Amino acid sequence: MTSLWLAWRTTTRYRVRAALAVIGVAVIGALLFDMLLLSRGLLDSFADLLRSGGFDVRVVANDGVPFARLPIPESRRLADDLRALPEVREVVLIRVARGAVRVDGGTPVDITLVGTSETSGSGWTVVAGDHLPSAAAATDRCPIVISRPLAAALDASPGALVHVTVQPEGIRSALPPVTCRVRGVVNFAFASANEHAAATTMAALREAFGLTRATDADLVLVASRPEAGSRAAVRAIERARPDLHAYSNEDVVAQFNQNGFAYFRQISFVLSSLTMSFAFLLVATLLTVSVNQRLGEIAALRALGIGRTRIATLLLWESALLVGGGALLALPLGGLLALGLDRLLRQMPGLPERLHFFVFQWRAVALHAALFAVTAAAAAAYPVWLATRLPIAATLRREVVD
Amino acid sequence: MPVVEARNLTRLFPMAAGPVAALRDVSLRVDSGEYVAVSGPSGCGKSTLLHLVGVVDQPTSGEILFEGRDVAALPEAERSRIRLVRIGFIFQRFFLLPMLTARENIELPQAEARVPAADRRARTRQLLDYVGLADRADHLPSQLSGGEMQRVAIARALANRPALLVADEPTGELDEQTGEHIADLFDRVHADGTAILVVTHNPLLAARAERRLIMKSGSLVS
Repeated sequence: MTSLWLAWRTTTRYRVRAALAVIGVAVIGALLFDMLLLSRGLLDSFADLLRSGGFDVRVVANDGVPFARLPIPESRRLADDLRALPEVREVVLIRVARGAVRVDGGTPVDITLVGTSETSGSGWTVVAGDHLPSAAAATDRCPIVISRPLAAALDASPGALVHVTVQPEGIRSALPPVTCRVRGVVNFAFASANEHAAATTMAALREAFGLTRATDADLVLVASRPEAGSRAAVRAIERARPDLHAYSNEDVVAQFNQNGFAYFRQISFVLSSLTMSFAFLLVATLLTVSVNQRLGEIAALRALGIGRTRIATLLLWESALLVGGGALLALPLGGLLALGLDRLLRQMPGLPERLHFFVFQWRAVALHAALFAVTAAAAAAYPVWLATRLPIAATLRREVVD
Repeated sequence: MPVVEARNLTRLFPMAAGPVAALRDVSLRVDSGEYVAVSGPSGCGKSTLLHLVGVVDQPTSGEILFEGRDVAALPEAERSRIRLVRIGFIFQRFFLLPMLTARENIELPQAEARVPAADRRARTRQLLDYVGLADRADHLPSQLSGGEMQRVAIARALANRPALLVADEPTGELDEQTGEHIADLFDRVHADGTAILVVTHNPLLAARAERRLIMKSGSLVS
């Protein structure tokens, strides 16, 4: 006859009331769970996205979050120098330009055009066709891979010919279009769901588009050697080129956390606090009402010699059953809610398609459990005090009179 | 040897208009195996006396010696222990736990006294036979009559073999015939050697006691 067993029998005495309490806590708990997922979800998803390409260091010419870029002069020589560093395994040059593309007889479509020295597709996954060819294997002057939305807009598939016009930033240009062959239709890691994007080789950008300083990259991606790590690679790069700024993925995430993510954390904190308050009030009210209905019963138990500790433990278990049941049910409910909310939020324009706001973490489950454990204890505090401090004789007398 | 000895008990209750003396200088003694009934008009202090003797309340002044120990000086945990294993309490309103069966209600104080499960079950079977409810062991209180509930309550009070049974109006919620059955049960308990202190309006129940005391306005008059 453990206290848990007694608490179970007491809780299930009024099944509908207990079920309503559990459902109430579950609904509140689902919202709390989602807030916990949101508190780090976007950050963790962004970190995953950065890691997905296999590069853990980013080198830019300007300070700050390395997305707004200035060209890095003599990028090809920089790449050779970086590859020579013992801490570095691989180096890729990236150049981003605005452009337009059309098919024969078609309307031009504005695109983001990426030039890359890496052709095997660490920045995309092939949906149809193939990756860009290596320099040695290239047969076309301008091989290109295009995003799915762009392929749909152009009605183009692998093998199709498209005409690309580049619009370099800050330069008035009347460059003629270049005919490029579509090698593959891909999903770009950092592209938004509806983005029209395309990628070609740095060589194609240089030769086909005749860009001045075409060898200049906006961004250099570096993969460190596993035995050295990203921090060592950053230090080595900064020693070799103190005029440039190197950021590990952790540095980028930390900047994002500080500058861009604070809003979500604050929202998450406020809503989490509110949900905990609601759960506390719900369970505390239920237990207090339950104890008030059972004062005579409790006084009789005390008169029979059932100790205060046992009474307190009984009430704590009652609280744990209501809160625990609700908290457990909240996990799948919250998971479903998170899927829906994530789908809604990801429709915001400009967000990479692979970025998520709600990411499952065991840490969130553990925190969810801990918060509800505290809530269960706190909600039981007043009912426990009420039950263990009631005057036995006066309560028995009052029950008879009533 | 007295099971309980109360000396010069006074119990005051603070009220807005001034303290009310529910008990005034009351002394009482119940010996081992003795059957004592306390009667009197409503509000005369019978239940207050019972609560003090049953160690569920503290006197304003005076002392209560239970099996030679001054209970007023004991911490609540010790007093609780005395109530659990040395005193059996029977209430006017039964106060069985409604979500437990008759069997489980009787086992509860034994579980609290850490009686091993096998011994608890054996003792409970014995008590259910004793009160004539062996066939109602698995019934909830809602499935029992008033008399049956009170019999379960008596079995519960006897579970840990107390030295003293205290009963506050045990037939107060029962009809006359059922009350007689309860009175018969009390006779049996007394015959088996348990001391009983009963507070009652019921003259038929009071007549069964070895010694009858009358209370009036907070004092024992006879």
